[in-house]
Order: sequence, then C-alpha cells, then structure tokens
Amino acid sequence: MLYSTIRDILVGTERQFGPEDAVRYKVGKDQVESKSYTQLKEDSERFSFVLDALKERGSHVAVIGLTSYSWLVAYLGTVNSGSVAVPLDVSLPAEEICELIDRADVTVLVLDEVRQDVAAIAKDRCPKLKHLISIQKETHDSKALSLQELLAEQNDKLEKKVGFSYQPNPEELCTIMFTSGTTGKSKGVMLTHRNMAENATCLDMKIPSRTVILSVLPIHHAYCLSMDILKGISLGSVICINDSLMRVAKNCKLFRPDMILMVPLMIETMAKKLEEAAGLPPQIVKKEVFGDNLHTICSGGAYLNPAYLDLFAKYGITILQGYGMTECAPVISTSVSWNINKEAVGQLVPNCEAKVVDNELWVRGSSVMQGYYKMPEQTKEVLHDGWLATGDLGYVDKEGFVYLTGRKKNLIITKNGENVSPEELENKIGEDRLIQEILVREQDGVIEAEIFPDYEYAKKNGIENIRDYLQNVVDTYNKNAPVYKRVYHIKERTTEFEKTPSKKIKRY
Amino acid sequence: MFEKLVAVICNYVEVSPEQITGDSRFMEDLGFTSFDFMSMLGELEDELDVEIDQQKAADIRTVNEAVSYLESLKA
Repeated sequence: MLYSTIRDILVGTERQFGPEDAVRYKVGKDQVESKSYTQLKEDSERFSFVLDALKERGSHVAVIGLTSYSWLVAYLGTVNSGSVAVPLDVSLPAEEICELIDRADVTVLVLDEVRQDVAAIAKDRCPKLKHLISIQKETHDSKALSLQELLAEQNDKLEKKVGFSYQPNPEELCTIMFTSGTTGKSKGVMLTHRNMAENATCLDMKIPSRTVILSVLPIHHAYCLSMDILKGISLGSVICINDSLMRVAKNCKLFRPDMILMVPLMIETMAKKLEEAAGLPPQIVKKEVFGDNLHTICSGGAYLNPAYLDLFAKYGITILQGYGMTECAPVISTSVSWNINKEAVGQLVPNCEAKVVDNELWVRGSSVMQGYYKMPEQTKEVLHDGWLATGDLGYVDKEGFVYLTGRKKNLIITKNGENVSPEELENKIGEDRLIQEILVREQDGVIEAEIFPDYEYAKKNGIENIRDYLQNVVDTYNKNAPVYKRVYHIKERTTEFEKTPSKKIKRY
Repeated sequence: MFEKLVAVICNYVEVSPEQITGDSRFMEDLGFTSFDFMSMLGELEDELDVEIDQQKAADIRTVNEAVSYLESLKA
C-alpha cells in the first residue's frame, strides 16, 4: 500500500498489527526484549509531546546513536510532530558532528552515551543548541536531560489514551541527511514525508507481513532508514536490531531472520564463510552462517559482483541488487525475486522515471529531494526542473532495468556503501608541509593516497626517511577519522602529477 | 594467544600462518576489510568467552595489539 507520510505508515500498521512485535533487541548477552507496534506508536507520540513541552515542535532535532528502540522513538516522534530529524553518523569525530549540528540549525540533540565527547563540547560549539537529551541516562542532571524521564513525564497522555494528533502534510520537510559532497563539504539532503514514505512503500516486493528482518546497517543511512525501518514498519515486519557488526553471524542464529539488508562488503565476508564450509550440505552451512530461515538479502550502497548471486543461490538465498542515493530517499531501482537480471542494478521503482543526458543518468519522481540544506549553488548543480542528475553514467532498458557504466562525480563509493570525498581527505592530509601534491582514490577495495613530497623541504628540514614521515602523517590523520575514511595504502611518487589545463591534478 | 589468533586470521584472509607476525597490520598487510575484522572479533568473543568493546577494537591495527587487548580481557 502506498503511504505518503511516515505517520500514515506507522498508524496504518499499528491499526493492523498493534499488539504484535515491531522491534526486537538484545538486553545482555542473549536475552531478547521486544516492543509492539502499539508501544512504538505510543512511545514515539510521547516523544512528540516531549518536543511540544520543550517548545521545540517544528525545530530541527539531531539523533546520534547506534540503532536502538530509543533511536526509533526519537526519530518517529520528531518527524510525526512536524519537526525535522537530522540523523548523524555516530562514528564521526566530535568536531565534525558539532559542525553539522550547527550547520543544520539543530536546537535539540538526542545523543547516545557512547558519544560523551560530543556532549562535552556540543553546547559550546553549537550556539543554537538548546537541549541535550541522553538516550541512556535514567534521570535529568546538569549536563543533559534524560530521554526516559522526559517520556515518563508524558505518561498521563498514555493513561488518558491521548494520542498526538498532528497530521503531517506530505510536502513537509521531515529529515535532513548528510552525504559526502564532491567538494569535501558534506551536504544536508532535504527530504519530505512524501519523499521518504513513498520511496519505502511504492513498490510491492511481495514480502509477506510479519517477515523477520535483521537490521545490520548504520541507522543514519538512508538505505537502512527507508528499507529496514520504514518499509519494515509498512509491512508489519519484525525488525530485529543487530547490536554490533562483530555479532552479525551470532545474531542471525539468535533472531533467525528471513531477510537482511546488506552492503557488498558484508556479503563478501559472508561468502568466505560459506565457501569455507563448501564440503558440507548446503542446508547445514546456511543454518550455521545465517540461521535457518534466511531467504533474501537486499544489497545496496555499492556495486556487488553478480557472481555472488549464484553462490548464495546454492544455499537457497536470493540476493536482490538495488541502486540509489540519499538524494532520492534513496532507492532508484531494485530487483524483485521474480524478475532478476544479474547485469542490472534492478528495475526503476514505480515512483521514479529516468532519462540519460550526456551518458549520465537523470531521475525524476516523488522521492527526489527538495535540495541541499542552505546550499543553493550545489542544489542547482544537480536539480534541473525536477530532474536529479545522479552523477552516475548508465542507461535504462525497455523493461526499466538500470545499468551503470561508470561515475561522473568525483566520489569514492566504498564497498560498505559509504561515500567518501577524495578532496576532503586530500585537504586534511595535505595540510602537512612535506606534502606537495596528493591524490586520494580507491585501489583494490581500500583507500590509497598517492603523494608527491616536497623533496626540497625534506632536505632543508633534515627529513631523511620520507616514507616513515608520510606514514606518520597518515597514521595521525587515521587516528581521528572514521574507519571508512581511513587511508590504508600510501604510494610515494618522485615526479609531479600530470595536470589539466586549469592546473588541477588529472584524476583519471 | 598469538597462535590462536593466527589460526582464526587464516579463516578470513588468504595468508599462510608463517606470513603473519606480531607487527602485521590487519588492513594494510593482511588484506582484511573492516567487516572481516569485525566478524573475526565476534568469533573470538565466542571462542574466548570475553566481551569486546567495539570502540576500543576499532583502534587495533596490528596482530600484537590484538593479542595484548585480548589477553587483557582474559586477565
């Protein structure tokens, strides 16, 4: 069923599946707790009341944390109250998080205690920030409000069965998601209720209700939020929360999912596990690696070698490839189990049309973003009369299958689906005086920096072992960088890079 | 612990045990992806019956660093 607001998704499913489990998560080592659809709706409405009580309805609310029931309550409570949620990457350095909070005009910050370093500096660095809410704290203190206590303060609404009655307009802005920009500065993608709700619900993938989904991807990613959470809710699924990337295999056995959304990096590691046990009967191997129920993996975020489709098929697991970008909320195309074309990245979803302009894929439809937050110039570069220039080269066949042939934009898409701007890394690492020129790119699945050192500077300053010095510079950068932005290979060159006529380094 | 870790490493990447030294770096030298590394830690958690702190684990770069961290959990 097509829904046009996130509230409609939640209300519609709650009406149908109220007392059934909506979310399952671990408490302690192997103990599982669950929350029903009614609880999810009521708790998120209590959070809407919290924002109302804080006089922050309509404000921008940043949510930072690992996937958790509380994260979902804060997100749904925010967007369904007419406010704007800003999900941020929990693994970013504190300074960068504060810069994004400030740039997104956030006034309320809901924060996981794992990022106490952010809590320590946020109020100083972000002058517009008025309220800091801790996800885990049990009571308010001088440093932060407690989410649990704030929700408990709204219990009377629950007792009187007073729901939060606001009905968002589909055209209302509901979420700002940051994505790596090609110029090094990340951009806030503005998405409305319609953008997100219709992307999640426009395609009937024939997934039965009560399907058990294990959510393993980072929740601040559009792919996870739209497909695991919003689509999951719309189908009345059971969404199981993976507590750590270390424990995917273990949690597969614990939650016994039917379906998982993954990025190619995860599929490749899982493939090694399958191949390791190749001599054993497939059913036993599958049970050991994925639990016995898994039948579907949706792959997105980056290119997946089609050979994996055959390997997994041997174990009764169908891989459905998809393609998208945050600017499209995010799914542009996906495979469906009854019509797989291994060479394509799926078929266009029903709310999306495409055309090719100078070999570049342009898309239009109800999921295309409103623009980049407070970046009119960058918005103009990609939005043309409702068409979104994807930056990807490709074409679409008569059946709507999408084929990608290359990339126009200067962006590294890692196998875990993260977008990394080479220029951002070049600027940061290149700050060291010894580095005269630097080019960052992806090589054999990892990020590599090719560096032309200033040999004269090295000589004048008595730097004898240039290689060690460069390694040190990169190690220092890596220490503060999230794992997916780390540089794992250094290549030293003794000549300048070839330049374009405008004196920029030739990238390709 | 070193030998145990080497045996587990060989399940994730195509290197022979002799090629692995204490100074070997997981990503740069052994060819681990970030998810290989996380999965290996999960396996070690079960095998050694310890609880690994994901944030601390993210700072581990070499085999020796992993051995020290795992030994500290067992102590």
